[in-house]
Amino acid sequence: MLIPFLDSWRALTHPREAFQDLPPPLGVALGRMAAVWIPLALGNALLTCWRALQGYEALRKGGLPLDLLATAGVDPTVVEDLLKTLPPALPLTRLLPWLLVLVPLGVLGTWLHHAVWDHTGLWLLGGLKAKRGFRTSLLAEAEALRHAALGTLVGLLSFLPLLGGLLSIPLLLLDGYLWLFRGFALAARHDCEPWRGLAATVIHAMLLGCCALGLLTCLVILLRVGA
Amino acid sequence: MRRVPWLALGSVLAGLGIWVSARLAPLAGLLPGCAFKQFTGYACATCGLTRCTLALGRGDWRGAFHWHPVAAGLALLLPVAVLWDLRRAWRGEAYPGLPESRWARLAAWALVLGTWALQAVRGI
Repeated sequence: MLIPFLDSWRALTHPREAFQDLPPPLGVALGRMAAVWIPLALGNALLTCWRALQGYEALRKGGLPLDLLATAGVDPTVVEDLLKTLPPALPLTRLLPWLLVLVPLGVLGTWLHHAVWDHTGLWLLGGLKAKRGFRTSLLAEAEALRHAALGTLVGLLSFLPLLGGLLSIPLLLLDGYLWLFRGFALAARHDCEPWRGLAATVIHAMLLGCCALGLLTCLVILLRVGA
Repeated sequence: MRRVPWLALGSVLAGLGIWVSARLAPLAGLLPGCAFKQFTGYACATCGLTRCTLALGRGDWRGAFHWHPVAAGLALLLPVAVLWDLRRAWRGEAYPGLPESRWARLAAWALVLGTWALQAVRGI
């Protein structure tokens, strides 16, 4: 890998050819995924926390548009009094040790979660006829998520002032593509048609997205608006 | 060679999660609710799951069955699954693959869609 992420770029732009080589052992694939994704996820988490803390501090210092609240029928003095009672934000350095523990756990949890749900989705669609088992799904997810980590890197652009806002919709579309991208790895490693792999990730999104992802989206929107 | 009983360990963690969730019940009101239901007006297949989990945490099985009968039924079957997994793990037997039968897959689809219909019709 002379140029970082070159192979990930190639895989993401030519997903059908990306998983045709002999698969690496599961441990190797997992190690590669962790080595690429955890540092990027950590950077993303740090920036998210930093922005959230900034938003919180702005809120404490009366960052709310009180005039607008008044027109909405809310008493600004009550809101101001409430904001003054908020405790000061934690320094980012105090959150760092927690992030160092939680981010790797989150990465591994996401990998396992995707493997379980995508494997189930593939089974529902009759894509497990080659009888390669759950271990193959774990391997496919690790390979796909290593490449999809490039999306996390691109996603860091959303923290740039102004440009971040402009890029929000393209980044959302990229997230959608990266979700589907796992389907190519699943299909290749389970030796079934690509549509079954892609549809497995869609079923995963439908089963989960109704509730958990919907909640998560609401929370992310609230955080973004707050920041 | 014996193997790790992942299903049993997962079940223990799920049980612990349910117990903890009952302690966090006052915070449940802060959750924004199901986005699918907010947008469409219809319940999704997982609507009622949080309330079912909270009811299970209180030991209120009647309430749990009301909010999400399928999840409550699965929770009821969990001890059986734990015993099955521990027995197989002790004997060193690997996990069996998911059944290849088309009927088994159709039954799973029916369960998912049936649950969805049930929750939507009841307006959970």
